[in-house]
Formats: sequence, C-alpha cells, structure tokens
Amino acid sequence: MLHGGFMEGDTVMVAGSAGCGKTTLALQYLVNGVKLGEPGVYVTFEEMPDQIYRDAKNLGWDLRKLEEENKFRILCTSPNLLLESEGESLLDESLHDIQPRRIVVDSLSHLAMFVKESELRREAYRLIMHLKTKGISSLLVWESPQMAGGSFSVTEVGLSFLVDCIVALKPVEIESSLRKALVVLKMRGSDHDKRLREFQITSTGIKIESAFANYEGVITGSPRKVASEKFMDLFRGAAEKRK
Amino acid sequence: MLETLLASETTGDLLVLFHRNPGLIDTLDSIARRIGRTGNAIEEDVRSLVNLGILKTKRIGRSEVLLLDRARDREVLDTIAKHLRNLEGVEKIDNTKF
Repeated sequence: MLHGGFMEGDTVMVAGSAGCGKTTLALQYLVNGVKLGEPGVYVTFEEMPDQIYRDAKNLGWDLRKLEEENKFRILCTSPNLLLESEGESLLDESLHDIQPRRIVVDSLSHLAMFVKESELRREAYRLIMHLKTKGISSLLVWESPQMAGGSFSVTEVGLSFLVDCIVALKPVEIESSLRKALVVLKMRGSDHDKRLREFQITSTGIKIESAFANYEGVITGSPRKVASEKFMDLFRGAAEKRK
Repeated sequence: MLETLLASETTGDLLVLFHRNPGLIDTLDSIARRIGRTGNAIEEDVRSLVNLGILKTKRIGRSEVLLLDRARDREVLDTIAKHLRNLEGVEKIDNTKF
C-alpha cells in the first residue's frame, strides 16, 4: 500500500475511532522496526504499560524481552511532561539508553487536554520537529470519533498539515457485521495505494486484505453495493428461483 | 528495609504499580491518580521509597517527576530474595526440632 513503507524520519498520523486497531498498528510499527535493527519507544498517556505488555504478548510480541535487550522502551507519562521545553526532556534517558529510530505517541489527542486549541498545532509542530531534528521517525496516534460523512476531516485543528503521512482506520458495517477499513489519505514524496482496504487483527498483528471492490460509500461507515453488484445479486436470485 | 516496604498498603500499591509498569515517569499527583489516591495521601510513602533509592526524582521543565531506579530496584529485590531464603533456612532448622 505504501510502495515500500513509511519514509525514514517521516511523521505519520494514524487516525481512527476507539477499538479500530490504532494501538496494534502502532506497536506493530515498532516491533517491525526492532526486527530491522531500529529500536523504538512507545509513549503512552492513558493505557498502562502492563496492559500493553499483555495485549502485545497475545499478538506474539514479547515487549518486556525487547526492553531487557535495550531495543524497546515504554514510557508512561502525562502529556504536559512531554511538552516541557525547559531543561531535561522526558525522552532524554530513553534516547541515551536505546538510541531509538522510531517513536510512537499514543495519543496526540491527549495533548489537546493540556493545551489550548489555538496552541495545539504549535505544540504538536514543536514535538514533531524535536523528533525530526534527532532523525527519529514518528507515528502519532489520533482519536477521531467522527470520521464519516461527506467532509472527511481527520483533525479539526489542522494537524493533518503538519504530518507527512496519514493513515485512517475505520469500522465499516457490511451486511450486519462490523469490518475494519484502512486507507492512506496522504503520503508526502511517494505514491501510495488510494483504495480503501479491509484489514484484520490476527494472532500475529494487522493483516491487510483486499480492497472493498464491490462497495461504494465505505468511508461513510455504511457502504452500499455498487449498482452492477446489486444487478448481479438480483440475477443470482432469479436464477435460484428458477431452479 | 523490609519494614519500610511493608509499612503501609499505599507503599505496597506503589511498588506493584512501578514493578508492573517500569516505564512510568510522572508527577506525584498523576502517580497518585493512577492508584486511585491523591498526591497528599501518597507523599510520605513516596518519600520513603525515594530514600530507599527504589524511586528517583528528576526535574522535567517546571515539574518534578518520579521514576523507578531499575538498577537499585534489582538490588533491593535480590536483598529481599536473599533474606527470604535465609528465613526459609531458619524455619527448616526449627522444623527439625519437632
């Protein structure tokens, strides 16, 4: 989908509503980084690390072991501390200990609780540039509850303009069951798959499936079958009756 | 040292919190919230753990944060394990008397 993956040093935003797999995708990004020799740091504001260790283990990722090997760190803190600009930075110890090449901030939405809306874009920019200056690729998680309808805005505070890549995750209702869709909305400096693809959270992490080829309006959350597919259904139905 | 660690329920809760979440770095008030208490309620217990060296403090901007000293924590755990092994030994000797 990404024609070779995220670009080194880029800032990626993963946006989606609760329970659609943002944290799994973010952890997979870091675990894959470790496999490529790139240590990673996971910054969490709300979810406690022991839950993250447990959930990751269910996906086959032993994060405690990676921590012991100095390839991974989980930092659990408050958003305002990450934004502190005077003196020592919160990340200094981890930067020194494991020299990370990738970092995840889960979630950027929590920063909004600690800074005024008018300052959020500036503070996010400062954080992004701090990481870019150190040559660290970052993945920022954004909770977006209302990603539906005609106007598809990921954030309401203009953060989409600050990041290099946006990946949106979305639950989709098809034939009374909830499925998950993923789309790359933006990727600076590289071509990418523009289709909405289905994905599954398997026992080994996120697995991208085929595109929702026979549906339209997937982004609204309530897709319809395209006209030709409806016609095919009618045709099949008629053929069944004739039997 | 064991007396300090077993001094109160709050100290126990703090130890469990930091052992399960060794990457926790936060202010006194936020740490208190994470175990359902207030900053004032845990201040004394935190001070004892800082004095033992299990927790350390660090200044991040205008805030003072608390974090686990992983190296010192391992030392303390080894000391406790050794102490418990010794106690087991004493019990075994005592049992032979009966």
